[in-house]
This record gives sequence, C-alpha cells and structure tokens, in this order.
Amino acid sequence: MGGNDKRKRSESEGGDEQAMEKKREILPSMIKNKEKRSAIHAKLKQQKKLEKRKKAKARDAAEKRALELGEELPAKKIPKTIENTREFDETVCKPDDEELFAGNDADEFSSILKRERTPKILITTCRFHSSRGPDLIKELLSVIPNAHYYKRGTYDLKKIVEFANKKDFTSIIVVHTNRREPDAFVIIGLPTGPTAHFKLSNLVLRKDIKNHGNPTSHEPELVLNNFTTRLGHRIGRSIQSLFPQEPNFPGRRVVTFHNQRDFIFFRHHRYIFEAKETKQTESKGKKTKDAKGESEPQGKVIARLQECGPRFTLKLLSLQHGTFDTKGGEYEWVHKPEMDTSRRRFFL
Amino acid sequence: MPRTTTLDCPGCPPLRALTFDELGLIKVIEARGKQGRAEPKVVERWGDPDSSKCVLAASIHDRKSDPLLAVARRNGTVEVLNPLNGDLRFAVSNASNNGVQPEDDPVAGLHLFAKKKLELASRSCTLLTCTTKGNASIRSFEVNKPSADVSSTGSSRTWSIGDGGSILCSKVDGSENYFLLGGKRVEMNVWDLDSCAKIWTSKPPPKNSLGIFTPTWFTSATFLSKDDHRKFVAGTNSHEVRLYDISAQRRPVISFDFRETAIKSVAEDLDGYTIYVGNGSGDLASFDIRTGKLLGCFLGKCSGSIRSIARHPEFPVIATCGLDSYLRLWNVKTRQLLSAVHLKQHLTNVLFYSNFADEEAEVAHSAADWPLHEDERGEGETPPMKRKKSKEKKGIEKDAEAKSGNKESFEEYGGKKVKSKKSSKRLKM
Repeated sequence: MGGNDKRKRSESEGGDEQAMEKKREILPSMIKNKEKRSAIHAKLKQQKKLEKRKKAKARDAAEKRALELGEELPAKKIPKTIENTREFDETVCKPDDEELFAGNDADEFSSILKRERTPKILITTCRFHSSRGPDLIKELLSVIPNAHYYKRGTYDLKKIVEFANKKDFTSIIVVHTNRREPDAFVIIGLPTGPTAHFKLSNLVLRKDIKNHGNPTSHEPELVLNNFTTRLGHRIGRSIQSLFPQEPNFPGRRVVTFHNQRDFIFFRHHRYIFEAKETKQTESKGKKTKDAKGESEPQGKVIARLQECGPRFTLKLLSLQHGTFDTKGGEYEWVHKPEMDTSRRRFFL
Repeated sequence: MPRTTTLDCPGCPPLRALTFDELGLIKVIEARGKQGRAEPKVVERWGDPDSSKCVLAASIHDRKSDPLLAVARRNGTVEVLNPLNGDLRFAVSNASNNGVQPEDDPVAGLHLFAKKKLELASRSCTLLTCTTKGNASIRSFEVNKPSADVSSTGSSRTWSIGDGGSILCSKVDGSENYFLLGGKRVEMNVWDLDSCAKIWTSKPPPKNSLGIFTPTWFTSATFLSKDDHRKFVAGTNSHEVRLYDISAQRRPVISFDFRETAIKSVAEDLDGYTIYVGNGSGDLASFDIRTGKLLGCFLGKCSGSIRSIARHPEFPVIATCGLDSYLRLWNVKTRQLLSAVHLKQHLTNVLFYSNFADEEAEVAHSAADWPLHEDERGEGETPPMKRKKSKEKKGIEKDAEAKSGNKESFEEYGGKKVKSKKSSKRLKM
C-alpha cells in the first residue's frame, strides 16, 4: 500500500520536474541582472527545500504506517559515498585466491607472522630533530613493544640498516621531522624487506588529547581495517610485522590502523567492559528497548574506550623493493601525479 | 553518477606471451580474436607456487617445429620446457662442482641456442648459463623423446668470466657467436663464444667536473640489431643509457640520462635504432639511439619497476612486466597502452611466442582482415618520412655515428621489414 502510494507520488513529482525543466530553460546563472538572479535563485532554493521536506515527511509517514501495521519497514536507503562508488579494482584480494596465500608464505614478513622471529624494532630519526619529534618517538616507544631508540647521529641510513641487520632487528622506523614537526615516516623491513615511505600528518600527541590514558606495557591487540588490494595487503603485513603476534588480552590495549580513502589513521586505545547500572545505559534510544526486552536486573555490560597514545594519519608515498636505497632502488609502487585521475580510485 | 576513468584499452593483435614470476609460475597470456581487438587473458598456468623456484632468467627458441623454452630457477635448476603445453622436457642442475650453493650464486643469464652450437645429433639443445659470480658454461643436451631423461653429452665447456664483481646482465647476439655481459663492478665485456675468449672490454667514463667517479654498475644490456654484434646499448644503475661501439672506442659513443632511478631494462626495436628503456620507478620511454633523443614516454599509470621488455617480432607491440605485477602491452607507434593484465605476482620476465599469429591466421584465415594490420599499413606511410629526416640528421651528426656501415644496415633492415609486411599481406590474401 504505502509503497504504491509512494511510487505514485514520486512519479507525479518526476512529471512535475520535467515540466519545470521545460519551463526553466534559463538557468539563474545565465541572468545578468544581479537582483533578478539572486531572486530567482532564492526562489529555486526555497522550492528545493520544500520538496526535500515533503519527501522526508512522506518517508517518515510510510515508516510510521509500516510500524503501526506491523509490516516490514521500507528498506533504508544507503547513501552514495566515495568509498562505495569506488572504481573497480582488479587487484583487490579475494579470499579464494591460492596464489595470494602462496605469495604470503613466501614474502618477507612470513617468518615474523608465523612467530618464527620475534619483532624487534629500531626507531630512529632524521639528522636534526626537536620539539614534537622526540615526543612522538617517546610515545611510539610506549606503543610498540620491543622497540629501541637509537640516536641518529650523522650515520647514513644504509649504514644503520647494516647495523640493525647485525643486531637482529626486524624493522627500522624512521621519523622524519621538518620545521620541528614530524612529517614523514619510513618503515624498513629487515633483512631484505620492503621500504614503505609515508607522509605523516595530523599528529596529536598524548598530552594534547583530553582525558587520555596512559598505556601499560602489555602487548597490544592490532586492528587493521580496509587493506584490500594487493598493495594494501602488503602494507598491512608490513605494519603487522611491527607488533608481536600474541596480544596480551588482560592489557586491553588496541592499536588501530584504519585505512580510508588511502589514508591510514593510527589510533591507540584502551578499552574496558563495564557493568553499568541500567539507569545510565537506558539513556540511549534504541538500546533501551533491548535492555527492557532482556529485563535483567544486573544491567548491561558496555564497552568504553579511552584514547591513549598519539593520533596521526599516514599516506603511502612509495613502496620500495629491498631496503632503503634511493639511488638504485626498485619501486614496487610509487605515487605519480598521473595516477590521480579520479577521486574514486584508491590503491590500498 | 560517479566519474570513472577506466582506460579505454583498444585491445591488441593476436599474440601469445609467456610471463615468469617470483613464485616460479609460468603464465601464458593469449589474445586471440577478431578484428585485432582481442582482450588478452591468462590461458594457462604452469607450475606450483614455490618461492625457491623463482624464475631468474628465461630464453625461448620458437622455431615452428619443436619449440623449446629454457627457464633458470633460483634453486639452481635449469628447466627446458615445451612452450606450447608446458611439458617439462628435462631439468638439469646448474650446481657447480666447487661446492657453492646455488642460492648464493644465482643464474644471471641464460641463452638457448637456436643454431646447433656444437655439431651433434638433430635432437639436441645447447644452453649457455652465466651465474652472478661469473661462472659461464655451455652445455649440450640430447633430448630423448619418450622418457624425459637427459643425457648430457660430454661437450660442455665451463669457464670463469667474473673478476670480483657480480654479473647482472648478459646477452647473446643474433649470430650467436658473441656474448655480452656486465654488472656491478664488472665493465661490459664481449666474449667470443667459439674460443671462449674476451675480445673487448669497456672503459669507465672519466671523472666528472667535480672529480667524482661513479662506480661501474650495469643493470641491463642489449645488442642494437640482430646482425651487428659491434653495437650495443647498456643501462646503468646511475640512470644512464650508453651506446657502445666495439669498433670505435672503449668509452661510450653516446650516453644520456633517463629520469632519476636506475635503468632496469633496455630492449631494441627491429629497426635497429629505436630502443626502449624501463627504469626502477616504472617509467618507460623510447629513444632514438643514433641521436640520443627521447622519442616519447609510454604513459599508463605504471607504478612498479620494469624488469623486462619484449618486442613482438611482427606486430608493432611491446610487452613490459615488473614489480607492479601487471603485464602491459603497448603500441610502439602511438605509444598507447593496448591492454594490461594483472598477474598477481612480481614478474621477472616476459617473452613472446612468435609463431602464434601464424597459427591464428591458419585457424581463422577467412576472417583474417585485422584492422590493426591496416592501421599498421596506414601508419606505415608516416614513419618513412621520419626516417628520411633522421637520415638527414644523421648526415649532420656523423661524428655521433662512429661507423659508416650503419646506414646500410639500417636500410637493409628497413627493407626487410617491408618484406615481412608484404608477406603478411600475402598471408591474408
């Protein structure tokens, strides 16, 4: 019933719109007189607003009727976003791809991810760094277990790679600072692993986060979101190999790398499960119904998050095959301006 | 509606390409089809994924009857396959006698001889392998058809060519008498394969104006034409492309820079003066080597190091592959991307199987009027103009050309090309 009505209405609206379009062949932007132009523009805007309101009202009414009649609610429309209209990418990993798994077994990180080697991270900086750089490194040391800070001095990065190989490090992280602000991030897998070069932005340090927590020394849990393509998969594995593979769950620490539109968001949280009094949990709309349905006196267990540690955003600039070598290096992936052909094309 | 940017790939002529990757897989890509607009697809996959079988070098000998394909793997075996169905003919171990692990001394160059190198029975094949540390060997094998067992005839020769450095590139010229190699701390060498003697060594360029000497590090090399072993092109790690002429001098005749990352592959065109250069960050360009001028870049969102370039023997098509795990096919004349195939692994090598187009013609000779051929003919009228121009230019820049015989060879080559075109026409009739 409701659906039919709605369709009719939408049809009639469509008819109206067509008629309207016939009438207004002159767009407001084509009118040269400013007063007229703005008047017509305002009128159009008002019309649009009314239409929108009408639509929303109709939708609400349909929903309400469906609720009253006990019918199924009309399906909620999914808004179009850049992510879900993403351009088709054939490199997206498929779960039934045996070559992918064979490739995983053969790649540089598999020995760490299979727990044959324990990750040991060397953190260093660029030649000169100050102010926010050291602070970030202090916080990274608390985020990543088994991380060791070494002063950069005046050593070449290639020399540092050699040194770290001798000392059985599994990865090197270099934080690059420009004008007292960290702006780049390099992750080098050792001994042969790839070198990922990121741009670092939107850094918020722990002390600038309101109500921040202080992390414990437990091994964190790791959340990697949306690393879908082959390249993303590889980056995800390189990030995964920075952390120990067995999280210490009593520590309730989570480190998140969330990829969205090729930007990797880093967050560090501590979570807690709390048995709240029912009164406080009922303050949220839909949950109240559930709670009532259960009607259990001891109340609900809810998860609360407390953010601790830094917050920053990474964007991949290049992925190099082999360890750091700017001159003779081979790139697996480099960002080139010619690749930015669409907002809906993503690489990770 | 979302704006999309899917590249309109015009498709490519019927061809068959073989790619080799880091998991030891061999994939066969075929474009068979109508009107030259075929979409290439992976037709077959040979082998099981195993990282120790990573393909390091490959060489094909595609005669019409009984073609052979040689593949060198990281675990030190050299396999000889049938490129039509992937059957293993035989496999030999490349392990040397002095107890060096094959993983420590991987194969850097492999060549399967088309001609009979050493006078032997008809069913034999001859392999030249060259390892990174400089152990070269020529071995002949007799292929016994029923069982895939191999009897190595006694005529194997092994000699050492390395002098401390590691060899990265090697090539055998068209007449298969000369062998070219170079690498990290190894200058370009030309060896005579009959006598296994070094006949020529290059000399590093002088220090620059600041007194800085760039260490020798060749990454790729190719002979300029099939008939001429005296001229070859080499790419270096310091993003330089150099033309050497054995008969002129030991220093490069021409050298020029290309972009800012190491040159990873060079390939020659059939015309004998165009070369294709691919580098470590995925840039591909063609150069006229007589003048060192850039003819144009191949643009197509290519983002991974280009490991291998192959020129199709008949169609104006090149194939590239590399670390971005795409096989890309390009039109040489328009420098347009014809199509790209995602092959999931880091690729190391690509080869064309050249008799495929003929087969296709036989299969579908009724509808054999490929428009691409027409295109080729249509465009065929423009290049001669260019060629004329370039000849005039050449007359001016005689100093750049150290050899006078070249012109003839180029012309010869052009003539041949015309012939081949004619023959293709005849095929269609």
